[in-house]
Amino acid sequence: MGRMKFLCDVERCIDCKGCVVACKEGNHIPVGINRRRVITIDSGKPGEKSLSVACMHCSDAPCIAVCPVDCIYQRDDGIVLHDKEACIGCGYCFMACPFGAPQFPAGQVFGARGAMDKCTFCAGGPEKTFSAKEIKLYGQNRIAEGKVPLCAGMCATKSLLAGDGSVVSDVYRERVFKRGSGANAWGRSKAYKE
Amino acid sequence: MWQTFNNAFTGEYVQYGQLFTQLQEVLFGRIFLLIMTIIPCVFLLHYMVIGPKRFAHDGPQVFFFGLVSRIVHWIAAASFSFLVLTGLMVIFAKPLGGGTLIMGGRVVHNASGIIFTISAIPMFFIWLKDMLPTLYDIKWFFIMGGYLSKEKVPVPAGKFNGGQKMWFWLATLGGFVLAYSGYVLWGLQGPVDTIRLMAIIHNFLAAVLVAMFLTHLYMSIFAIAGSLTSMITGYKPKEEVAILHSRYKE
Repeated sequence: MGRMKFLCDVERCIDCKGCVVACKEGNHIPVGINRRRVITIDSGKPGEKSLSVACMHCSDAPCIAVCPVDCIYQRDDGIVLHDKEACIGCGYCFMACPFGAPQFPAGQVFGARGAMDKCTFCAGGPEKTFSAKEIKLYGQNRIAEGKVPLCAGMCATKSLLAGDGSVVSDVYRERVFKRGSGANAWGRSKAYKE
Repeated sequence: MWQTFNNAFTGEYVQYGQLFTQLQEVLFGRIFLLIMTIIPCVFLLHYMVIGPKRFAHDGPQVFFFGLVSRIVHWIAAASFSFLVLTGLMVIFAKPLGGGTLIMGGRVVHNASGIIFTISAIPMFFIWLKDMLPTLYDIKWFFIMGGYLSKEKVPVPAGKFNGGQKMWFWLATLGGFVLAYSGYVLWGLQGPVDTIRLMAIIHNFLAAVLVAMFLTHLYMSIFAIAGSLTSMITGYKPKEEVAILHSRYKE
């Protein structure tokens, strides 16, 4: 089985935030939560670059290590999911995560946090696949439908790649090669043929 | 470029993020498990081998705790008990099943935290003078307050002994630190590194306070027979004061 990965090509990302909106609308995410966000550096200056980020679905994920109820788990294909009904909203996963992926809906009694919410790689959750409960709690299960996550599917510049890690790497490697760098630097293929 | 992205994306993860992850993964749960098993066992052993100190309760009495201090003490005691219970519920959330029960526990934890913080302020000022450390407190610690022998020998202690003073300072000043770090953890706002540091402080300090809490429970309910009444009526038997608080002047 493949290993699911995200990869954002910063040479292509144009900071349109389409991925953020697609994820939020398509998965009916609680108010105040964005599972995906776009980081822009050197905004408004030459060399401005953007990067779309969400849960990285880490190998040896720190959130899984710290969860006091062990409600976060990793599937065989590397996707990290969690059980919202077991979650106690303690926030430890948020503190352990280097990427700020786990988020918490506010607005309960005493301003208490609800259950954690994060990117599911559009793979739903522990509930029965395609059940109404799964859609309500976790959003769509596009992986079970054989599709890429919403964010990557709608990305206009195809900057955000998602899927089997080796395929994603191949696509990116080919792009970098065509764009030209290293041995494929500008002009070389014209000058030397082969 | 990658450096800039990394700074914006992950920040200084290795500083506290990794530390917090490792501590929470291996240490915090075990510390509380050890405290909750070993300390009661030690006290059970003490109760069976040395046994409680008994003083005549029908003899002359000394007025020890004023009405205000007793009321403040019981408000603090009730809220602190809830804090310990609900805090342990979060630590041992997995065997309890997690979910809504523990989330409710966290709400109670927050509410009792506010009540405790409010009650700890008058408690601090009422007992501050009597809780100032003195030289003979060191002596008290050396003989472990006389609790390791069955004999009734006067131990060096004023209105409060060294152990009580330690509990007082940890509960008030430590309680303030816990309240502040708890406030940060509740809000989960601001720099992530600060939140991580607060979580580490909150867990370690809470472990110390739970240990002290258990000790306080054992001392007041079991180790000195009938000493619980003094916090209800305000009166202590004269004999008990002469032995356990030998430097106390009315």
